[in-house]
Amino acid sequence: MNRRTITRRDFLKVASAAPLAGALVPGLGGPAARPEDMTRVVLVRDVRALDGSGAPDGEVVGRMLDEAVAALVGESDPVKAWKTLIRPEDTVGIKTNAWGKLPTTAEVENAIRRRVMDAGVPEDRLSVDDRGVRANPVFQKATALINARPARTHQWSGMGSCIKNYIMFVPQPSAYHGDTCADLAAIWSLPAVKGKTRLNVLVMLTPLFHMIGTQQYNKDFTWPYKGLIVSRDPVAADATGLRVLEAKRREVFKDDGLLKPSPHHIQLADTRHHLGVSDPARIELVRLGWSEGVLI
Amino acid sequence: MSPLQSPEARLLSSFIPVTAGPWLSEADQVFDAASIFDYIDGAGEVYRSYNMKILVARRFHKDGRPDLVVDAFDMGSSEDAFGVFTHDLDGRDAGIGQGSAYRAGLLSFWKDRYFLSVYAEEETAETRDLVLELGRAIAAAIPVEGPKPALLGLLPAEGLEADRVRFFHNHSVLNYHFFVAETDILRLEQTAKAVLAEYRGAGGPSRLLLVEYPGPAEAAQAAGSFAEAYPAAAGGGRPVIRTGNGKWTAWRLYGRYLAVVFAEAAEEKAGARLDAVEARIGTVK
Repeated sequence: MNRRTITRRDFLKVASAAPLAGALVPGLGGPAARPEDMTRVVLVRDVRALDGSGAPDGEVVGRMLDEAVAALVGESDPVKAWKTLIRPEDTVGIKTNAWGKLPTTAEVENAIRRRVMDAGVPEDRLSVDDRGVRANPVFQKATALINARPARTHQWSGMGSCIKNYIMFVPQPSAYHGDTCADLAAIWSLPAVKGKTRLNVLVMLTPLFHMIGTQQYNKDFTWPYKGLIVSRDPVAADATGLRVLEAKRREVFKDDGLLKPSPHHIQLADTRHHLGVSDPARIELVRLGWSEGVLI
Repeated sequence: MSPLQSPEARLLSSFIPVTAGPWLSEADQVFDAASIFDYIDGAGEVYRSYNMKILVARRFHKDGRPDLVVDAFDMGSSEDAFGVFTHDLDGRDAGIGQGSAYRAGLLSFWKDRYFLSVYAEEETAETRDLVLELGRAIAAAIPVEGPKPALLGLLPAEGLEADRVRFFHNHSVLNYHFFVAETDILRLEQTAKAVLAEYRGAGGPSRLLLVEYPGPAEAAQAAGSFAEAYPAAAGGGRPVIRTGNGKWTAWRLYGRYLAVVFAEAAEEKAGARLDAVEARIGTVK
């Protein structure tokens, strides 16, 4: 591909020194925007999503997921809504994220598992896994995937995103680390996952908006946002989660809020890999529930 | 030989105390540049970009209290230990090693060819004291100091924010600190040595990027590549342009060195800073 590189000079010329590394400059570096339908993203929040100790409340989380999926597909009954996503004959892999400091959480995994089974999938054709997906027989035969992970900053990719969550489907994840993980979306074209994802759940219960040190985690840089972002489109889900993280960083650090390194893999998933929509102007954001501190 | 058995890993382990107050240590985990992803996933690329050799991770545990974790890196050279330390300079100087920063339960410091991260999973008054105590003990056990990158000596002193200088080898890290271009137009390619310095001035802050390439040919190629991305200068004679924010970007090639001033308020100031770099390079040739 013969692409002109975007430089600081271009940003200064076009964007008047506004968001720099995180910004997409219209008309530079990528193909012209294609006409697309709006893509729907549901942000659901509940003030009771965490208990007094800060742990997720499984019942509340289950209700949040039900409301979000119903709003996403336009069906008021949650089981009927899930049946528009999952067929009884499907073999379903729930790709979770087991990072110990900020996992997807058992409450989210269980809520998804329950509704997949309500949609008619028997337990022996359903599996929840992260690092073992390549060797997992259910994932090897999967006809449908549900992708669920927490939103967090990341020292190399900028953001731990739904797009990035599929890196465990490749034998050598470091092969996708080039240019700070610019081409993670290419993974989504591999046979193990291509066209199989029915739902993406970006867990925003206690997002991590900043990181320091090798361990990348400090509880001081999380906050009880008590939300879930749900979409069929992983790029739109991530782009929306990114807006929340950046808004929180602006609030705390009183600066431009941009993540470092730039999570440009989200924009490139749209402009280079055409996996989904990253432009907020093309995302229909449905907000449900608790609105205090919603940030976007 | 596995990383765990190497003499370098044993030496590194020997610098770390086996207890931290009433906290007891668990078995060490040892990683090299290939296996670091098993420990910290893709974040390992930051340390690989500084040519890390060995990481020894030791966790300290006491029931009912937050764990403490020491991540001790042998970076192979003191300039890369300094470099990876400069990747994150946020925090207060704790006076440990040859440079340190403490913030929110995390102490990072460097000494000789070693970079250390000492971390409390939750910051309390007790864990803060222990983290600092561990750091001081490790720094004392490392027997010698090491030199900083020689490039630092080429930075003009006037206006320099001396405690905000970054050292690195590739464009991803450059962009982390200061976005220049989405691709590696400066041809850093992990083989170059680079410093990015911040300067204060009446017209606002500016940056000086100074890169040392393996040789003059590589530096000349990089200068050509950079000039291509800044086409306003092409044919204009002087390698200087005014960017959209009204500030000046200027660059100059000196043998195997390329220097670029970004965001300087006045053209003559940008030129003067490059003159000062040239004079300093002249003294080391």
